[in-house]
Amino acid sequence: MTMFNRNDKPADTNAPDTTRVQTPTPAPEPVRPQPVSQPMTSAARPSSPGVSVISRALKITGQLESTEDIRIDGEVDGDVRGVSVTVGNGAKVKGTVYGDAVELAGTVDGKIEAKKVVLTGTARMTGDVVHQDIKIESGAYIDGHLKPEFGKSDGKSRTAPKPVEVKQPV
Amino acid sequence: MSTFSFRTRPKASEEKSLAISHLGKAITVNGVLDTDGELRIHGHVQGRVNAERIVIAQGGSVEGDVVATDALIEGRLNGRVFALNVTLESSAEITGRVFHNTITVARGARIDARMPWRPPSYFETLDQLPETRE
Repeated sequence: MTMFNRNDKPADTNAPDTTRVQTPTPAPEPVRPQPVSQPMTSAARPSSPGVSVISRALKITGQLESTEDIRIDGEVDGDVRGVSVTVGNGAKVKGTVYGDAVELAGTVDGKIEAKKVVLTGTARMTGDVVHQDIKIESGAYIDGHLKPEFGKSDGKSRTAPKPVEVKQPV
Repeated sequence: MSTFSFRTRPKASEEKSLAISHLGKAITVNGVLDTDGELRIHGHVQGRVNAERIVIAQGGSVEGDVVATDALIEGRLNGRVFALNVTLESSAEITGRVFHNTITVARGARIDARMPWRPPSYFETLDQLPETRE
């Protein structure tokens, strides 16, 4: 069989996400005609295709890595790496959360390494927080060290910005 | 393509209440993903996926085994699918095996796979996946 020679599909593979909406293929599945604005309602808020949402019902065992934003409402057993990472209320991460900005309203058992960290009133953090700029709301639980060393330490910090002074006014 | 009456059980209403997880196109996940809701993959997943409903969107790819009740594949899959209802869209590229009870394949889908039919009962006992990997 010449499986890779016959390719009748339209040459639209360059823009994978946007083309889903207006793909010239005959019939996207009728149940979900539009990927984003479809009527399905759930805990997952409407989001652009680039943003990743780990819903309450999802448990991931392993690594997540993205060059875009990640919102976690479920459970992750492993490291998370994103640009802006939000760990929602009720969510659980066991591992290290890396990002430019990390907002925690759920539970992290491990470590946070981010330039900008926000611990909300429902946050429960067990482990160290490596940051450059941190906000802690009343009610947050922290069992660990806060280290204003983001970008200064070993090569672990992904973005490694220029060495900046410890406490930067927001 | 307008005959999509492939569901073997009434789930249309149930489907709307599924929690939807969304993996954006820039994400790479290595590991096991487990959900009783819906999972939409625009990015790359390496590992095993268990979901009630999985959508591998165009541009998305999965390498590994997928277990679901409904599987809609518009992207790439290298591995095995175990799903009661499988839909392969025209942009799908499949390598491996597709275990299904009902299947729809759109014209243009690239398939290099065996597609064994199985009775519905087969899919209820998939805690241990068979060793069929070649």
